[in-house]
Amino acid sequence: MRGLFLAALLLPLAAQAAEQSSDKTLIERGKYLARAADCVACHSIEGGAEYAGGLPLVSPFGTIYGTNITPDKEHGIGHYSAEEFYRAVTQGERRDGGKLYPAMPYTSYHLLKREDSDAIYAYLMSLDPIAKPSPKTDLAFPFNVRFGMTFWNMLYKNRVQLEPADGKGEEWQRGQYLVEVLGHCGECHTPRNALGALQQDLRMSGGVILGYEAPSLLAKDLAERGWTTDDLATFLKHGISDQGSVFNEMYPVLHHSTQYLPLDDHRAMATYLLGEQPPAPRSIKAVAESELGESAARGRQDYLNLCAGCHEAAGKGVPHVAVAMDGNTTLRLADSRNLLRVIDDGIREQQFTGFERMQPMPGFRDKLDDGQMRDLLNYLRQTWGGLETEVTPERVAELRGEAPSH
Amino acid sequence: MAKRALSMNLNGQVVGPFTVDDDLMMIEFLHEYLNLTGSRLGCGQGICHACVAILDKPDGTSEEIRTCITGAHFFDGKKVRTIEGHAKRDAKGEVSELNPIQQKFIDQFAFQCSYCTPGYVNAATVLVEKLQRQPVKRSELEGEIENALGNHICRCTGYVRYYNAAREVVEGLGLVKEG
Repeated sequence: MRGLFLAALLLPLAAQAAEQSSDKTLIERGKYLARAADCVACHSIEGGAEYAGGLPLVSPFGTIYGTNITPDKEHGIGHYSAEEFYRAVTQGERRDGGKLYPAMPYTSYHLLKREDSDAIYAYLMSLDPIAKPSPKTDLAFPFNVRFGMTFWNMLYKNRVQLEPADGKGEEWQRGQYLVEVLGHCGECHTPRNALGALQQDLRMSGGVILGYEAPSLLAKDLAERGWTTDDLATFLKHGISDQGSVFNEMYPVLHHSTQYLPLDDHRAMATYLLGEQPPAPRSIKAVAESELGESAARGRQDYLNLCAGCHEAAGKGVPHVAVAMDGNTTLRLADSRNLLRVIDDGIREQQFTGFERMQPMPGFRDKLDDGQMRDLLNYLRQTWGGLETEVTPERVAELRGEAPSH
Repeated sequence: MAKRALSMNLNGQVVGPFTVDDDLMMIEFLHEYLNLTGSRLGCGQGICHACVAILDKPDGTSEEIRTCITGAHFFDGKKVRTIEGHAKRDAKGEVSELNPIQQKFIDQFAFQCSYCTPGYVNAATVLVEKLQRQPVKRSELEGEIENALGNHICRCTGYVRYYNAAREVVEGLGLVKEG
């Protein structure tokens, strides 16, 4: 009798404990999903509270700011229900019916699973509310008229559609969801049209963002630039591999998102991108000095003068200091945009996972005139990039003439 | 490794032409070919700035260059100053008077082991020359000193004294505007 009484007393407690445990599990899953979706990158500023918003996203149409998505009721999403959150994330509609701008990647998230949205919502609602107002968007007319987004959405909202997964393995399918939906990789790695919409027919073939190229992620192009499934998974986990290190806009992606994912996810993403039967990576034998063109031969001395001190004369790099040129994927891009920009702008000190670091690379804009830059690009591309075509003086002038975008 | 001819104006004297490996770093050229060992090889990776020399540009400005990561041939045909070029010398070539920065560093006991000192002297010289062209507002002085010296590493941690000495030289030469 006494046992029955105790059991009756304990049952509600057990149910309550199970519910709390379930909440905790949901929040943990939401945290993982929010990282996979890299929410914090756009919804935080450096040194600011996570998810409290404020990051300026510079677009050709003006500046849009990442909003406060903490549970603050006045400035954040405190009044949102799970349903309203799902609509915002997948359809680009605010709780008050206003339209979001597609800087919020609902064009990719429209395929987000409802249970995943609910988990992210549970996680965000578990955070401390931060009473910080989001800066106002600053777009030129007519893009500042939010109502105009109604027409844009009719054309482009649900345009991202996944390749059928028929016959594909579980790992490939998981990779597809991580790359195409949660990771929304296509938002940067796809060219956009004049209205800022992703060009679906050129999906993942590369885009330009803030003056830098987000390179093609098509399997044939990745293999052309030397990528293997293992190396790509390593790159996503550690930010550094035999092909070089993350930089520019990909650095925060590593920092806030991919480094935290489990190894299975990196493998799945690489498997999706390169395919279950990946194409063989193109190997390149460094071109000898005697085989260089005239411009490249001149560029060799510029390389020895300004680059070899860190990247080593034979391009082997220095571990923990500077990446190798030999095998570096950036040298193998058909367009010289990123290579020129990195040489001109430099790269800030880079911190990777574990104990790996890269020291800052200075910019050499003031050390190389247009002719020297062209010669250096030709030397790098011919020697270690496997590229035979020469960069033209016009291309150097054009790239250097573009106003700094950030 | 191929070699090529190299000459430059160094501390006011034309040196060369030497036939030098085309991948030789400038600090090795200074040490091995010219016996100018005042520029220190520290990290060898462009971080510590102990090795910096001064490049005098055609437009009359000067800048510090890290010689451990910059090839000697980068300086071909250019004007360069090293730590050996700052003090005045008498007819016999003996040092007769230090420049104001060197003197102030001594007065302030700014260095201990002195390994980083040539780099600091060169950096402070570039700073003074910049401010001689355009004096700085007092409110911006600390930022200018930080920009000029902040990348230099002193393992004896003499930073405060280096900064104090640099500030006194700049102020002593009347290069600070009120405001």
